[in-house]
Amino acid sequence: MRLAHLWDQSKCISCGACIAACNAANYKSTDKPNPTWGGLQTNIKRIVFDLKEKPYFLLLQCQHCENAPCVAVCPTGASYIDKDGLVKINPTLCIGCKYCMTACPYGMRWLEPALGLPEKCMGEECQSRLKQGLQPVCVTVCPAGARAFGDLDNPKSEINKRLKSGRVIRLLEYKGTKPKFFVVVGR
Amino acid sequence: MMFQEVWNPVVLGFFLWFAGIAGMGSVAYVSMKLSKVEEKLKELSIVIFASIVLALVFVVADLSRPFNMPFAILQSLLSGTFIVKIFVSWMSFGISVLALLLLLSLLILLRHTFMPGLQKLTDQKWYLVLTGLIGFLVVIYSGFLIADAPGIPFWNNSLIPVLWIFSASVCAVAILKILVKNESITRFLTRAGLALEIGELVSLAALMNVSLYSGIEAAQESAAELLLGSLASAFWLFVVIIGVLVPLSLGFLLLKRENRNLALISAICGLIGALALRILVLWAGIPITVTL
Repeated sequence: MRLAHLWDQSKCISCGACIAACNAANYKSTDKPNPTWGGLQTNIKRIVFDLKEKPYFLLLQCQHCENAPCVAVCPTGASYIDKDGLVKINPTLCIGCKYCMTACPYGMRWLEPALGLPEKCMGEECQSRLKQGLQPVCVTVCPAGARAFGDLDNPKSEINKRLKSGRVIRLLEYKGTKPKFFVVVGR
Repeated sequence: MMFQEVWNPVVLGFFLWFAGIAGMGSVAYVSMKLSKVEEKLKELSIVIFASIVLALVFVVADLSRPFNMPFAILQSLLSGTFIVKIFVSWMSFGISVLALLLLLSLLILLRHTFMPGLQKLTDQKWYLVLTGLIGFLVVIYSGFLIADAPGIPFWNNSLIPVLWIFSASVCAVAILKILVKNESITRFLTRAGLALEIGELVSLAALMNVSLYSGIEAAQESAAELLLGSLASAFWLFVVIIGVLVPLSLGFLLLKRENRNLALISAICGLIGALALRILVLWAGIPITVTL
């Protein structure tokens, strides 16, 4: 099993519902700031590129890399790739060295100040939803259908259907991380 | 442009500095011991042990979950994960070699202070070779620790460990210059220090050059910040002038005639430069900008 995320840039209306839902589900709607990225405590980061002619934005989150640098550098095995292909954190093994945060080329980990624990997609609530056969909250709440999530090894999964129908890229592929976060950039 | 804020550059800079002093200090201790030079070995053993303890204090100070560390490492060891990780993660490798050097240097310190009977163990050739090797591995680790972070292109460069080895060696020579007064040894230290300073200068210039022309924006920005930007005054003053050019100039003067005061100034400048180098390289790290 290789669970993966897809984000369709051409459909996204940048409403921020996924970001708010992630904050609500995984961080109990806290209004405390994210000390690493700024803004809300959430696992999705919006980056706006202020190009004068044609401004655009990216929604970034953990890429659940198959060759994840965060997993490789973790000294205790606290960061690991689970059987479902998702990169997860075992808090009992984390010493807070933050090496995973500097190793991630996407900068997709942030430090939860109260516990000193690096946080990332997927949060606890989303993981619990997966166990119940539900989709992650960001996928569920997206009003534009810009998100998909599923198993790359299942040819009938929604994500595989959408991967076949669009022009898809992966971010920073030259880093050799084999990311499982697909960005649809056109038809 | 955003400097890395994950690691505290000052706290981690001190950690890397003390690790370098302890590591190359151990190599220097072993070299002296094997060359039958017995002068100031007790003092050197105190410096090595104090440095490794301080290195550990500083690295633990930067952990965000320090109280979870003993349990987490123990559990990881018991499950066998930590052993596997030694071959994959420089952090695991570092924890192991730092712990080993702490133990080895403690026994050497005790041999020179309260338990002279330990010399039967610590003066054995295999023990000395092991101590020197572990010391060198500590220095290598302190370089690869940051060079192995692909999220920060300026650090993700094989020149960093080389620069760290030169810089830590300069520190070891500086410590010896401060401790030792024997003229034949100080003459050797002056020559060795000069060669190491030149090596440090060349690797520093190479790091800047490669970063500026690497084609990776974040690495270029880091190098530009150090050379011309907001970190430039500290970089040029503490790293280049005080850390390299002053010791280099004094080294050439000392080649003609040894002078204790000048040697002390040169040594202290070298130590300050090595600390500033680590802090500023850590500070200047800029994460990759992700674009389509």
